[in-house]
Amino acid sequence: MTRFSKFNVSAIIIGFTFLYLPIILLILFSFNESRLVTVWAGFSTKWYVELMQNQGIKDAAWVTFKVAFISSSVATFLGTIAGLVMTRFGKFRGRTLFSGMIYAPMVMPEVILGLSTLLTFITLAIDRGVLTVTLAHITFSMCYVSVIIQSRMSSYDDSINEAALDLGCTPFRTFLLITFPIILPAVVSGWLLSFTMSLDDLVIASFTSGPGSTTLPMKIYSMVRLGVTPEINAVSTILVGLVTAGVITASLIGKRQRQQLAQS
Amino acid sequence: MTETTTTEPWLDSNQKPYIQIESVTKKFGDFTAIDNLSLDIYKNEFFSLLGPSGCGKTTLLRMLAGFERFTEGRVLVDGEDISEIPPHLRPINMMFQSYALFPHMTVEKNIAFGLKQDKLPDNIINQRVEEMLELVELTDFAKRKPGQLSGGQSQRVALARSLAKQPKLLLLDEPLGALDKRLREQTQFELMDIQEKLEVTFVIVTHDQEEAMTVSSRIGVMDSGKLIQVATPTQIYEAPINREVADFIGDVNIFKGIYKGQDETGTQLLSEDSKSIIYATQKVDVPVGNRIWFALRPEKLEITRKLPEVDFNILKGKIEDIGYGGSFSTYHVKLENGRQLTAIRANRERTAEHHLTWGDEVYLHWAPHSAVVLLS
Repeated sequence: MTRFSKFNVSAIIIGFTFLYLPIILLILFSFNESRLVTVWAGFSTKWYVELMQNQGIKDAAWVTFKVAFISSSVATFLGTIAGLVMTRFGKFRGRTLFSGMIYAPMVMPEVILGLSTLLTFITLAIDRGVLTVTLAHITFSMCYVSVIIQSRMSSYDDSINEAALDLGCTPFRTFLLITFPIILPAVVSGWLLSFTMSLDDLVIASFTSGPGSTTLPMKIYSMVRLGVTPEINAVSTILVGLVTAGVITASLIGKRQRQQLAQS
Repeated sequence: MTETTTTEPWLDSNQKPYIQIESVTKKFGDFTAIDNLSLDIYKNEFFSLLGPSGCGKTTLLRMLAGFERFTEGRVLVDGEDISEIPPHLRPINMMFQSYALFPHMTVEKNIAFGLKQDKLPDNIINQRVEEMLELVELTDFAKRKPGQLSGGQSQRVALARSLAKQPKLLLLDEPLGALDKRLREQTQFELMDIQEKLEVTFVIVTHDQEEAMTVSSRIGVMDSGKLIQVATPTQIYEAPINREVADFIGDVNIFKGIYKGQDETGTQLLSEDSKSIIYATQKVDVPVGNRIWFALRPEKLEITRKLPEVDFNILKGKIEDIGYGGSFSTYHVKLENGRQLTAIRANRERTAEHHLTWGDEVYLHWAPHSAVVLLS
């Protein structure tokens, strides 16, 4: 058996260490008694308590959640529609252009995306704040949702919709009663993905936020410039936990859906 | 409509057809899928559309269901023009090749779906669902989801769902295509029973000629968007109108030759294979010297080692190949000119004494009334 050869085992250990050691250290030191980040002085949750008393961080967290919730909801709505249009309407004029435009934000460098949205807001004379960050997040999350919906729809049996029509269901009710419930898991995982991406975005938020709309990643970044404190470790740990939960849920939903498809 | 019980309503000019397809044409761009096709189907018929893939049979079915609009022509059901009615308002239901069960609903809910769309009261829906479950013998599976059913069970749910609304016409698109051979044969008879019991008109699309022969009252053989022949299974098999139909339905030996006139034995054909005159009883009305064909089903060719005691319709050859099929054997016989014919003989004797074997010199003979004369 070569599965557990020395080479394989060491490759795995080195790889995972490289990927996760920094995060593990961050989590560990968020429970450190000492204010010194590099010296372990015993277990404590006092930095989490202190975190709760830091108004600046709490404000930033609230802004981040508001932006993430609204932007992921709108992006899911628009992305689902875009995904359905791309798969259900066959060929139409400008389809290639439309599909290219959907994918563009995925491949565009974040800095460019941030800069161009910033310029748009300036041109349109929109004051930067929670609204502009939300709009920018919708723009780049939407394409991920549409990709997820498109991949779900590619394995969707069109005759299911035809069967519903055939049994006397109107086209609109067919969408509500048949198509939407079937693709719901994909919609939910699209939402979760948008939510976590909005949660940890720094670059685009820095470009498009204004006074009073500082997001959590931005807050952390600015705090770090004054030195790393255990407080930052604590808030980062919470963020890591949330993102991990979101990504795991999304992939579990995807897995369950694939299993259901394999059964039927 | 006169309610006389006749088994062959298409022969009775007093019978009004139930479905009238009138000069229907369907084009996809430059491609003509259905070419000026007309067809009458009668009440309670079990009508099969049979043809190779791409012949337009599924397109025709989808047009009846309303999923495809036709370019020209119209369709009447029970005297009513349904050409402009969208699919969800047609009194027609369809059973899909993929079954198209709703994966997020239980068997029960799948069957009730169509009834709910009609806003029927709950007690009637429940009663109808129960009847349907009984009909397809799935009462114990009412609470299961489609993902937990076998292929045969899914097929029954699809059938029950499409029958629940008591449609005037049920369309079935390759309903048994996904089942294995044994289950398919069993289900064929069940389909026939259900069709008789519920008195619904069935139109079925299939590429499986055996299936079409077994279940249908009539078969429409299609090719390139046209109906080539519409007749009962027996007629299609025993009296195909041209070589194409003869070849598509079952195995056939075709003899090419020149028409030499009639005598007391029958129609004379100067065969290209044997360079002699061969006979068929069926008369033809073409000038002497025309090219015509004889079609002979393999089971109608008698294969013997002894020279038959007649002096016509005898071909000499050598056994090239034997396909043992249990109840019958298929023999490939090579004629002296190299042409290969197929003959089938029932294996009546259990012992090897009467068996023919590879390389045997044999004679093929047929009765003149067994051959079909084809003009094209």
